[in-house]
Amino acid sequence: MKLSDLQQWRERAVRDVSLRGERRAWRIVISMGTSGIAAGARDVMRAIMDEIERQELECVEVSLTGSLGMDDFEPVLRVEHAGEEVVYGRLTPDAARRIIAEHVRQGRKVERYVIGLPKERE
Amino acid sequence: MDEIALHILDLAVNAVSAGARRVTIAVTEDLAQDRLVVRVADDGKGMDAQHLDAVVERFASEKTGRRRPIALGLALLRQTAEQCGGEMRVESAPGQGTQVEVWMRHGHINRPPLGRRDETIFALCLGAPGVAVEFTHCRNGTVTHFDSAAVCQQLGPGASLQSPEGIRAVREALESKR
Repeated sequence: MKLSDLQQWRERAVRDVSLRGERRAWRIVISMGTSGIAAGARDVMRAIMDEIERQELECVEVSLTGSLGMDDFEPVLRVEHAGEEVVYGRLTPDAARRIIAEHVRQGRKVERYVIGLPKERE
Repeated sequence: MDEIALHILDLAVNAVSAGARRVTIAVTEDLAQDRLVVRVADDGKGMDAQHLDAVVERFASEKTGRRRPIALGLALLRQTAEQCGGEMRVESAPGQGTQVEVWMRHGHINRPPLGRRDETIFALCLGAPGVAVEFTHCRNGTVTHFDSAAVCQQLGPGASLQSPEGIRAVREALESKR
């Protein structure tokens, strides 16, 4: 291991802490059933992944699921954090980037795309 | 669905939902034989004959009164194949995984374009990082091959595809094959 590796490692650790998160504190579930895919879920997924890479976010876990059952609002995704769930719909890649920038990074929901009320998990 | 790559993503998501650990996708374009063949095989939980009928026959699954027909995508893909002079075959059994094979006439006027193949691979192997995704594209004898397990190995033990480095590695692996 070189000194530069250690420095990189430290920078990443500092960044992670500054995201007030333990690792994987955020979970994003993308609806990828037939209607989601037809409506553009693949591009939404791409936008999320591009942001995770670009902003070096270690705190986000992403998964795809068959369908979240909200076909009329596709593309749809659900953000889960600290027991709270928010469902966003009628998304575009730009909307997905905003969800990362505003909701995940600043804790501020992107109201314009919210379709499901936050639900406290048991 | 205006891209074959989107149909492939749909089939692969079914495989992930069926608990597959490995999804093997092959696209073969044979212009001399005027054929485009897509094969998606998984080692998921599989379906019994009744379930299989229901997902392949869209109308059958509508008759059961389900509000959301399951795997509507398979019925759509079959329709597309048949409109392009081809057909779809699905083999599946409980515990045996599922294999979908569809072929169509390559030059048929109704055939959708293959579309953004790499976007499909990217979304699939990063959206389901626990599933090994293998994609082989053969076009007139030229073969492009992608295996998410190889990218994982290159990242080293304990590393996740779903991390900034993992995403970068998948992106670069796909870009290097263009």
